[in-house]
Amino acid sequence: MDALVFLISGILMIASGLLVVTRKNPVYSAILLVVFFLLTSLNFLVLRSPFLAVIQVLVYGGAIMVLFVFVLMLLNLTEEELDEKVEPARKLLAGAGSVLLFALLAWAIHSSERIQAAGDTDLTGPVNDSAARAGETREIGQSLFSEHILPFEFTSILIFIAIIGAIYLTKTRSANERRTTEPAVEQPEERA
Amino acid sequence: MTLSLDLCLYLCAAVFSIGVYGVLSRQNIIVILMSLELMLNGVNLAIISFGRYFITPEGSALSGTGASSSQIFVIIVLAIAAAEAAVGLAILLAVYRRWRSARVSDMRLLKG
Repeated sequence: MDALVFLISGILMIASGLLVVTRKNPVYSAILLVVFFLLTSLNFLVLRSPFLAVIQVLVYGGAIMVLFVFVLMLLNLTEEELDEKVEPARKLLAGAGSVLLFALLAWAIHSSERIQAAGDTDLTGPVNDSAARAGETREIGQSLFSEHILPFEFTSILIFIAIIGAIYLTKTRSANERRTTEPAVEQPEERA
Repeated sequence: MTLSLDLCLYLCAAVFSIGVYGVLSRQNIIVILMSLELMLNGVNLAIISFGRYFITPEGSALSGTGASSSQIFVIIVLAIAAAEAAVGLAILLAVYRRWRSARVSDMRLLKG
């Protein structure tokens, strides 16, 4: 039953992923990306990661998608700007490249002895006794703040730097300040 | 019906390749960033699959570290994805304000 859920949501994941990269209008891509994230979180649930399934919905389906849709609405691209004018040759080349990449990855998976040795193991089956609580919030919290405290702190520094960078990049200087600091530089026209 | 490790990995490979196709074939920066998220999700699913395999009775002999390591890995990837999306969209806003375009082929200031 679990395996069937995984299989169906996997097929739907591939379908929605393909639609995300092929839709002309980015708004449709964004909505389909939310569907993709929800299906991924379903697969996380099947693979015994309830905490990550919730985080996936909250962070990806919530925070990151809000960011994407907000920028989409802010830019308000016109029909003409949305027309990407990609020549068919480039699309064909990209398609061939990604199919080649998939074939390479599939060949690597197929020829790996260790992965094939694991082929009989059912990932929806029972777990080892010592790891019965793995994936639960309590276990993850304890592991994150004891064993993996250093990566955690580095990640917090990285996010701090990203926040500063994002604010600096999007900051608009006031017209008054601009006039006094860089009078010779050609001004980009103001947005209507 | 059983769910084997290689089935999960084939799915992850497919999702990752779809993301690569999006990055290579699209011109709109927003869609390229979405494709990047797609690729990161494929990798996350692969990590989770391996983590799930390593807590089965057969796989736990191969696992050297704690059972939660894969989950921690995915949490950190998630945080980095969020930071990447924030900085990427900020760059897009700055570029759009300057050149009135969201197409990657219009950005060739660094082209030799």
